[in-house]
Amino acid sequence: MSILRRLRLLLAIISLIYILIPLVVTIPASLTSANYPSFPPKGFSLQWYTKLLERPEFAEAFWNSVKFAFLASLFSVLLGTLGALAIAKYDIPWKSYLVSLLTAPLTVPQLVLGIALLIYFTPILLAGTPTGFLIAHIIICVPYVVRFVLTGLSGFDYNLERAAAILGASPVLVFWKVTFPLIRPAVLSGALFSFLTSFDNVTVSLFMVSPEMRTLPLEIFSTMQDAYSPIVASVSSVVILISIVLILILEKIHGVGKLLGSTH
Amino acid sequence: MEPVRYDDRQKIVRLSTEIVTARRKRNWRKYIYCGLLLFPLVALIFGFFVIPMLYILYLSFIETKGETNAFYSIGNYVHFFTDSYYLHSLWLTIKISLYTVVVSLLLGYPVALTMAKCSPRVRGLLTLLVASPLLISVVVRNFGWYLLLLPNGTVHQLLISLGITTSPPKLLFSEIGVVIGLSNAYLPFMILSIATSLYNIDPSLEKAAAILGAGPLRSFWSVTLPLSLPGIVSGVVLVFSMSMSAYVTPALMGGANVPMLPVVAYDQIINLLRWTYGSAISYILLGITLIMVTIFTRMMEKGRYREVFR
Repeated sequence: MSILRRLRLLLAIISLIYILIPLVVTIPASLTSANYPSFPPKGFSLQWYTKLLERPEFAEAFWNSVKFAFLASLFSVLLGTLGALAIAKYDIPWKSYLVSLLTAPLTVPQLVLGIALLIYFTPILLAGTPTGFLIAHIIICVPYVVRFVLTGLSGFDYNLERAAAILGASPVLVFWKVTFPLIRPAVLSGALFSFLTSFDNVTVSLFMVSPEMRTLPLEIFSTMQDAYSPIVASVSSVVILISIVLILILEKIHGVGKLLGSTH
Repeated sequence: MEPVRYDDRQKIVRLSTEIVTARRKRNWRKYIYCGLLLFPLVALIFGFFVIPMLYILYLSFIETKGETNAFYSIGNYVHFFTDSYYLHSLWLTIKISLYTVVVSLLLGYPVALTMAKCSPRVRGLLTLLVASPLLISVVVRNFGWYLLLLPNGTVHQLLISLGITTSPPKLLFSEIGVVIGLSNAYLPFMILSIATSLYNIDPSLEKAAAILGAGPLRSFWSVTLPLSLPGIVSGVVLVFSMSMSAYVTPALMGGANVPMLPVVAYDQIINLLRWTYGSAISYILLGITLIMVTIFTRMMEKGRYREVFR
């Protein structure tokens, strides 16, 4: 028994290392003093961080990413929450088909979605525009919000709303004081999850960008394809640190595992 | 009891019709609210998901000859299945996806099992560690592996010092690199699906197996493993279909040496601007993934352990 258990633990530790090691090696590799990327790093210097500051395209790409991720998660949360509220509350014919339709963008590969949107956007002059980029990102984020909020509403007792209405609360007040506080964790995690999904996205973004409008993952992607330089390590380290902060917030609100468990 | 008088009866009829119309009005209002809440979302999904997907399906049946000549045909599909370059690319995509599934299954199962057997606190921590890389861009994770797989890099040194090989194979820009990148990216999905099905196993079943004289290996083989098949199947399906259509990892870890179908499709669309052909490749990719996943799921559900899937 104990040998088997030890073997299981050993294998589990190996796979955990396998999952986490690419994130772990990037940060020390960014502190190298050499001109080429390597692990273990050669020497120690912060030169790749100062070089990062000298390259305005990375900072610009970072702000683009933040801007689009913020807008995408804002719109996804608004549209997704309202839609999910309607689906959960009212008797809609073919409800399960409607939910499958609204979450279908998750089942289609992002590559195919990117191709479809690029081809569709070109004649209607949305290809390569910020609007087109934003719409594409909302399409990949909104299904998550719908799922989270529907899960959050699954045990909701509508008598609470009725009770508030009988006591004289207006529909807006009912929503604000009764419904919203109960789905707040679902909405908040939908917002953060959408932000991260949009911020990290490469595949769909690749089809939506124009030379003037690039996001950080795309900038990393093209730098990696053209020339492998330790500057990728320093940008990646920044992305990792920001993501860790957001992930810890998400974990506090709702639990990362629970969220991903409910989506797949 | 006094009989109801005629005008009273009329009053009752009038009142009840009033109630019915009022109810109907309220219902009507309900439908308007519901429609207003749902309309933006449904319009968005229809306008920017359903219609584009149908549009490229339509385009995939258009063949272009020269600048102006376009006609309906299945020529794009015929072209794909008769050209050895595209067939080879399809085979390569399927092969790498299958390798990825095997690697993530072998690496994922022990973690899922550990998650199912440990205390709730450790389980929470493990879930966080397993799931959070999913929220960090795949580009960043691939770069980490790029560092490790460099020629004479950490993995090469490790292979040599462990005595596994003296002249390590090319890892970066090869099929091995792509399998490592993909399995690293999708392993969390495999672990989480298997773990979910392991959580649902009644612990008394294993006790029963032990009482009936089964050792830990036998009880794993005859009780735990079959009961976790639904999780394995959903993990396999998820990892396989995501690997089939992954673009970023094959492009970064394989480069031109590993022309998987998504890389080919991207090239057709972005660099060669062959939109009708690229659309056809998209649907071929979708169709083949769907067919393989369906056959696999059916086989498992009709197989020896079909009761587990109910």
